[in-house]
Amino acid sequence: MNKHKLHVLYVSLLTMVLLIVSFGPALSVFAEEATELPKKTLVMGTSPDFPPYESVDAKNNGEIIGLDIDIAKYILSELGYELKIASMDFGGLIAAMQSGRVDFIMSGMSATEERKQSVDFSDPYYFARNTIVSKKDSNYNSIESLSGKIIGAQLGSVQEAVAYSVEDAAEVRKLNKIADLIQEINSNRVDAAIVEDAVAVEMTNANGQLVMNFLPAEENDNGYAIAFPKGSPYVAEFNTVIAQMQENGKLDELLLKWFPDANAASKGNNKLIDFSILQGYVPYIMKGVGVTLLFTLVSAVLGFILGSLLSLCKISGIKPLEWFATAYTSIFRGTPLLVQLMLIYYATPQLTGYDIPALLAAGLAFGLNSAAYLSETIRAGIMAVDKGQREAAIALGIPYRKMMISIIFPQALRNILPALVNECVALIKESSLVSVIGVADLMRRADVVRASTFRSFEALLLIAAIYYVLVLVLTSLARMLERRLRRSD
Amino acid sequence: MINVDQLTKSFGKNQVLKGITTSIRKGEVVALIGPSGSGKSTFLRCLNLLEVPTSGFISINGDELTAPKANVAAIRQNIGMVFQHFHLFPHMTVLQNITFAPTQVKGMSLAEAQDKGMALLAKVGLSDKADSYPSKLSGGQKQRVAIARSLAMEPEIMLFDEPTSALDPEMVKEVLNVIKDLADSGMTMLIVTHEMKFAREAADTIYFLDQGLLVEKATPEQFFTQPKSDRAIRFLEQVL
Repeated sequence: MNKHKLHVLYVSLLTMVLLIVSFGPALSVFAEEATELPKKTLVMGTSPDFPPYESVDAKNNGEIIGLDIDIAKYILSELGYELKIASMDFGGLIAAMQSGRVDFIMSGMSATEERKQSVDFSDPYYFARNTIVSKKDSNYNSIESLSGKIIGAQLGSVQEAVAYSVEDAAEVRKLNKIADLIQEINSNRVDAAIVEDAVAVEMTNANGQLVMNFLPAEENDNGYAIAFPKGSPYVAEFNTVIAQMQENGKLDELLLKWFPDANAASKGNNKLIDFSILQGYVPYIMKGVGVTLLFTLVSAVLGFILGSLLSLCKISGIKPLEWFATAYTSIFRGTPLLVQLMLIYYATPQLTGYDIPALLAAGLAFGLNSAAYLSETIRAGIMAVDKGQREAAIALGIPYRKMMISIIFPQALRNILPALVNECVALIKESSLVSVIGVADLMRRADVVRASTFRSFEALLLIAAIYYVLVLVLTSLARMLERRLRRSD
Repeated sequence: MINVDQLTKSFGKNQVLKGITTSIRKGEVVALIGPSGSGKSTFLRCLNLLEVPTSGFISINGDELTAPKANVAAIRQNIGMVFQHFHLFPHMTVLQNITFAPTQVKGMSLAEAQDKGMALLAKVGLSDKADSYPSKLSGGQKQRVAIARSLAMEPEIMLFDEPTSALDPEMVKEVLNVIKDLADSGMTMLIVTHEMKFAREAADTIYFLDQGLLVEKATPEQFFTQPKSDRAIRFLEQVL
């Protein structure tokens, strides 16, 4: 039948397209490998908030350490590559690998079917047991006991799926950080969290009111594996070394190093807030002040210069410039800053091939965004300067540029100084957003410390205080400046 | 020195200047008088293109100001202007107000500009205010600084747009004296004013404007004793 023939044609066409799509990238990778020497350095992406697999050794220079790191070091040295570690949020790891920022991912990542759609996995190197963590008096010891309860899990983790497998669960809450999970259990917003064994041990160690119950291990889909881009040539090499490590006992040796005694008696810190746990972490957090300030300065300066230019466009009386400035303001004010930040950071390498550093991307995103707001503020400031000032300058033969810089701007600036200070204060605080792309600012460092201490409040309170002091210092500096500018009154 | 031919200026549908033709020779002091809305200030502001004429022709020393390619900035440097509301730069001291244009526009050295500025301040009687900010000065003092600021560019022509209208009565005299001294020194000047006594004493020529037209052009003696037009007669009846 005609219809049948057509159907066959479609199927074969589709198959061809699929073949090309799936082998295309692989072929191109092989072609690259053939023309250039193998890379000496491989970049590993990881989210260092998952001890003992990976965490920031905040007490020692902020180096990234853990079981995954040790395994990666061993494999790469066996294969003759150098290891470089790139740290970022777990949710951004796969995107970073797809944009070519990292060559492989080791971050306690389970080889799920869903992920296999977009990446290739090595053989698993570790099988974790899922564990229920809850308050002491609750007694949730099996998946069945959780029915009707609110269950928490880390967003994007394999335990998320386990949580969904609970029959009649009241709700599954997915949170970004382990520390957030602890907080939700403590505040009774979540009845129990499903996390993996190593995490559960740390959680209960740091929080005396919590207990854990292991679930039976399922070897089939919970295995941690190394993720590679589709068609990566490294998978086979890595698998050989993983098999070797399982044979020669190297893997067991490393496991013992990082899981010294999973059944050790819980130390049990019962206090809700205990600042002594921050001991040793404070210098690490304080280093974030410099990053936050540098970043705020860069974005404020960029925003001010760009905002001034935009405001000049808006009052230029030249239609295309006015349209451009208005469209610019409309777009950057009308879309979320976080979205702009992610787009600039992840899209720049894919579109231009330039691997934009996180701090630069963040400065750019915040500067561009701030310029949109400031252009309106500055325009208002310029309009508020007496028209006669312009006429007097024109009558004296002062050229436009000098007039704007020396006569109009200083007066406009004085008018809008309070608004500018507001913008800087907002920038300091909003800078905490940059932690999502891995800039080691105050917020990021607090997250790291929360992950390594398994305590949720203390680090947050500390950085809240630091932000507050920064804002206080800034406002008093601004007041001094304002007084100086007003001396002509 | 200044030639004006068929100058008109409209703001939207409102024609403020309806064709003014005149010429002013070097050293002439012209007082522009007339009822409010007659176009005196607009005429003055057209002479340095603060208002762009709708039609007509202006030339200064033979340079056509209204030509499309005229070097307006250069011509403006040669024309000083003093405003009703002074328009001193509030964020600069008195001396900085005076030295800014010579140093930035003419490239004069700061030291030279300051020497010259101090000499001008002495001339207007404000040497002791060099380092004050404008906000600390009285209206009369501000206007004298504004005059010194204009003179610092060494213009050949000075335009005064109601220089005493915003002043308290007791300050009018100190400003008029400065302007009169300037007139006696041979400067070419156009002054929009409501001070009839001053116009009579200081001006060489009176321009009487009404409804956008230059109605009468006469010596002060002629104008104040034997005005020709009905409109001038009625105006003088009201103000004298």
